[in-house]
Order: sequence, then structure tokens, then C-alpha cells
Amino acid sequence: MSDPQIALFMLGIFIIIIFLGFPIAFTLMAMGIIFGYYAYFDPSRMWRAYNRAVEGGADSWTQVELWVDGFFNNNIFDLFINQTFSVMTNEVLTAVPLFLFMGYVVERANIVARLFTTLNVAARRIPGSMAVAALITCTLFATATGIVGAVVTLMGLLALPAMLNARYDSSFASGIICAGGTLGILIPPSIMLIVYAASSGVSIVQLYAGALLPGLLLSGLYLVYVIGRAILQPSVAPKPTAEEVPDIPMGKLIVLLLTSFFPLAFLILAVLGAILFGLATPTEAASIGALGGLVLAVAYRALTWDRLRESVYLTVRTTAMVCWLFVGSWTFSSVFSYLGGEQVINEFVTGLDITPLQFLLLAQLIIFLLGWPLEWSEIIIIFVPIFLPLLPHFGIDPLFFGILVALNLQTSFLTPPMAMSAYYLKGIAPPHVQLVQIFKGCFPFLILVFIAMIVLYVQPQIVFWLPGLIYG
Amino acid sequence: MIHYIKLADRISAWFGKAFAWTILVMTFGMAYEVFVRYLLNAPTSWSLDVSFIMYGTLFMMGGAYTLSRGGHVRGDFLYRLWQPRTQAKVELVLYFLFFFPGVLALIFSGWKYASRSWRYLEVSVNSPAGVPIFQLKTIIVAAGILLLIQGIAQVMRCLLCMRTNEWMRAADDIEETEVMLMEKGAHDVLDHASEAIDIVKPLDTNPTGGRSDKRS
Repeated sequence: MSDPQIALFMLGIFIIIIFLGFPIAFTLMAMGIIFGYYAYFDPSRMWRAYNRAVEGGADSWTQVELWVDGFFNNNIFDLFINQTFSVMTNEVLTAVPLFLFMGYVVERANIVARLFTTLNVAARRIPGSMAVAALITCTLFATATGIVGAVVTLMGLLALPAMLNARYDSSFASGIICAGGTLGILIPPSIMLIVYAASSGVSIVQLYAGALLPGLLLSGLYLVYVIGRAILQPSVAPKPTAEEVPDIPMGKLIVLLLTSFFPLAFLILAVLGAILFGLATPTEAASIGALGGLVLAVAYRALTWDRLRESVYLTVRTTAMVCWLFVGSWTFSSVFSYLGGEQVINEFVTGLDITPLQFLLLAQLIIFLLGWPLEWSEIIIIFVPIFLPLLPHFGIDPLFFGILVALNLQTSFLTPPMAMSAYYLKGIAPPHVQLVQIFKGCFPFLILVFIAMIVLYVQPQIVFWLPGLIYG
Repeated sequence: MIHYIKLADRISAWFGKAFAWTILVMTFGMAYEVFVRYLLNAPTSWSLDVSFIMYGTLFMMGGAYTLSRGGHVRGDFLYRLWQPRTQAKVELVLYFLFFFPGVLALIFSGWKYASRSWRYLEVSVNSPAGVPIFQLKTIIVAAGILLLIQGIAQVMRCLLCMRTNEWMRAADDIEETEVMLMEKGAHDVLDHASEAIDIVKPLDTNPTGGRSDKRS
């Protein structure tokens, strides 16, 4: 087999191993080493000292020692360690644990119940008021924490029973929570965009600026759908009775809003503003955010020793999950391209003679399909980099591509067989809410994601306007 | 065998959790940098290096802890449909093919890399502050050794599971009680989710007024 064929063979085996369900980070590492050992195998260089010793008639012990030395004298080991160390000193990825920590702290700040109750009262005159309140709570809370599972389960324990009590359709109610909770990986400051920045080399600041309006566009579309459906089909979202949503005097409502909605919104805006206006690096802004989260938790009297410990330990686990994936992926992909795999794919795709639009559709379709069995972290770290070298050929901006991918990956949480949002919700929902109903409720939101992607393609200014405004 | 698994889980968790606290150093260190830069107009020369070192140490040392709690992401849409015994058989083979080569390479080549750095007590080139980074390179070796210890425990887990058809879970961890909130059925699905999942029950009373007559 020629080297490029070996590279494709390597990719094939890798995909099979993914299907077998072995931890991906270690699979990538080991395959990088094994195939890299082959790729960089150079006996005359590796065993030069050994050969010389044999000729010089050294004693057998020295010969064995030099042979072993030679065996490990393969360049792949240096490459591997260099890649590992470059993940460890990556300037972009340093923000990951801080944003996660901020998320875990905010999640424990007892804020979500307060927020939902307040918005529920504030929105009570709007059609489908509870659904609107749930959606806004999800969006805001998801933006601040960025942790999809937590948002969906917390809201599932809180808003879902409330909506079911108010005779809401269970599909409709669960769809809102799943889709709303998933927004946290899209709207900045989100971890997913940091990860994309680290694998694509696009500036994280530009990505945040570019993702803001598309994120708001998508949540706006969700909101329009929810209100529209409540007007056209009042049976899915009946008006709550006075007993279900108490009428609170305006003054008190303002106080409630001031103590729940605004602190969280302010925290998000402060972090985002500091990044977008260049006052702080994303890492610094994330540390301010984490500190702000701690202050918030203290203010809500929610910061206990146990909760701090939980946040710290969960941060290390999720960070390790993401960053070890990078260690594996960077080793794997440098061996893959050294063997010429990248070039084969490049030549194949450019030989297809397709238009940029067709390429974009194809790429997004593949990412959408990958989202069925896989999760965003694997897709962004391992599969998206395969498309990135092709973008210049088709004249597609990697920033624009990244935003489309981020939108697209919203669907990966909502499509079976690995629809994590739906499973999280099923895990805590009352037993009579069936998984099929949840999927049915998610479906309209999938359509809205596609609509948002089409809108972005037709009007790319939505992505480029804000980065252009800030950086000229 | 059970003893070894428990010991390995404890070692991994101890190191993972101990180094997890670097996140607080990072938070306060970076926030301090922003504070002195804008309010005192005197930026520090060490904060960038400190953030690298803390972050690198955090995730490297957390690798084995995450492994012991099944936290590394996997494409398990087929895997979770299998009997535990089948899972264990497949995993056992894969550990030898696709786990140990990488981890051993991490230890051996990390050793070479770190000892080179120790020889001249390497410092970071990012700033004139001369923040030492040879210890960060040593972390690679330490993380590799922890993963090796934990990997052997995972192999034993597979062997045990092939006999009993049941996975031996890690000792009760801080999250386990919270995951208990989830129903048993969803538990297995969530085990290999992309995030360390955890649920805290809101301390506030039910916002709908504590009505208990759930409509079914």
C-alpha cells in the first residue's frame, strides 16, 4: 500500500473503533503513535548508533541497550510530545476550564428557579406566557452556564412540571426545554466556539462577535414559533389561571427582575463586552466571569463548601474530557497529513467539480449526519478539521463556516439515536412524558435551525456585520 | 483485583481532585491581572505563564480521574445496546490495542522531554519574568503514569465484568448522589455524556406554589 492509502486505512479503522465505543481520545493517541511509527520509520537513522556499535564489536549488553535506544529513536515520539505540550500551552484553550467553572458555579447559584418564576409573572400577558418564560430562562441560563445537560435537567425539574400543571401539551413543553437548553453551546461566551477556534485558528474574539447575532436570530425564531403556535393553537399552551401564575404588583415585579434577570444578564454582558471591546483576553474575561459567578452565588446565599467542591471537581473532569481529545486529535491529524491523507481528500473533493454552494451543503449535511451518533466535541475536534483545508479552494470564510457548524450542531443534541437533550429531559421528566413525545416536540426546532442556516447563507452580513464593526 | 481497582480509583481521584483546585488559582490570578492592569496600570509579567501552567496541569492530571469515572467521550450509540459482558470483551481487546501504546509513549517520550528540560531548568520564553516550565513538562510523565495505573484497573474491570456481567462502578463520588435524582433508566445513557452531568435540586420551593396535584 502507498502512504496515502495507509492514511485512508487509518481513518477507516478509526471510524470503526468509534463505532465500537472505545474512549476516543486514547484511540486517537494510540493510532497516531502506531501509524506514526510506521510513517517515520527510518532504520538507518534510528539504529545508526547500534549499527556502529555492531561494526565496532561492542559487547552484547551495549548492543542490546543501543538497539532499544534505537527502537525509541523514532520521530513520532518527539512529534507526539510536542503536540501534547502545545495543547498544554494553547492560549485559546486556557479559557475552557474557566468558562466551565463559571458555568458550574452559576448553575449552583440557585438562580434558575428565581429567574423562571419572575419571568413567568412578567410574561403573563403574552400568549403562551409560560412557554415564553421557559424559553427565555433556558436561553439566558444556558448562555451563562454553557452546560446543556444541567440546563435541560434543571429546567426539566422546574418548568416542565409547571407547564404540565398548566395543561400545556407535553410535546410542545419538552421541545422548548430541549431546544432552549441547547442554545448554550451557540450563544457566546460558549465553549464550543473556543474549541472551534482552537482547531481552526480563527480568532476567538471574531467568532464571538460573529456568533452573537446568529445566536440571537435563532433564539428569536424560537420565540416567534412559540408565540405563534400559542396563538394559532391555543390548546397546546392555554392561558394559565390566576392561581397558577399569581398577579404581582409592578413594583414588586421590578424588584424581582432586578434580583434575578438583571444580575445574570449583566454578568453575561460584562464578560462578552470585555472580550468584544478588547478590554480583556477571553481567558481573562472568563476568570472575571467565574469570579462574578462566585459573587452571584454568595449573594444568593448558595455558595457552600460542598457546592464549590462539586464545581471544582466537575470542571476538572469536563476539561480533561475536552483537552485530552485535543491531545489525541492533533497527534492523529499530523500523522494523517504526513502520510498524505489530507492531500488525497483535498484532491478528491476538488476533483469533484462542485460549486461552493454544493460543497457547503455537502459539508453541512455530513456534519448534520455525524451529529446523529456523535456529540459536538468529537465532531469539532476531529471531523471539522478535515473540511477546513478545503475552505480556501471554495472561497468560504472559516469564520462563516464555523458559525454555520455551530448552528448545525444544535441539531446533534436533538436528533436520535444520541439526542442528549432529549435523554436528559426523559431522565427527569414525569414517567408519562414519552421519549417519542419529546422528539416530536424537538422537531419544529430542528426546522427552525435549518431556516436560520438558510437565512445566514442568504444574508451573511448577519455574521460579518458585528466583527466588521468592531475590527473594521 | 477488586482491591487494586479501588486503590487505582482512589489514587486517580486524589490526584485529579487535588490538581482541580488550580482552577481557583487561575481564576484569582487572571482576575488579579485584569485588576492591576486597569486600576493600577501595572500589568503583571507572570499571569500568562501562570494561566498556561495551571490549565495544563489541571487537565493532564485530571485525565486518569476522568477515565476512572467513565468521563472520556465515546461514540457509544451501539456500545450501550450491548450486554455488559460483550462490552467488557470488546473493551479488553481495545485497551491493549488502543490505550496502552499511547500511554506508554506518553511516559517514555515524556521522560526524555522532561529530563532535557530539567537539565537546564528551562524557563518560559513568553515573558522576561523567567517563570519555570520544566515542572510542567514533568506533568506529562506524571499524567502518563496515572493513566497507566488507571488503565490497568480498567482492564481488571473488564475481566471482572466478563465474569459477573456487571460493571464495577467507581466508589461513590461527589456527583453520584446527584445523578441519583435521575431515573435509573437514564443513568446509563448519561454515563458517557459529553459533560460531567450533575443535577442540583433548586433549594427554593416549587415556584408554582407547591401544588402537588400533578395532572396526568
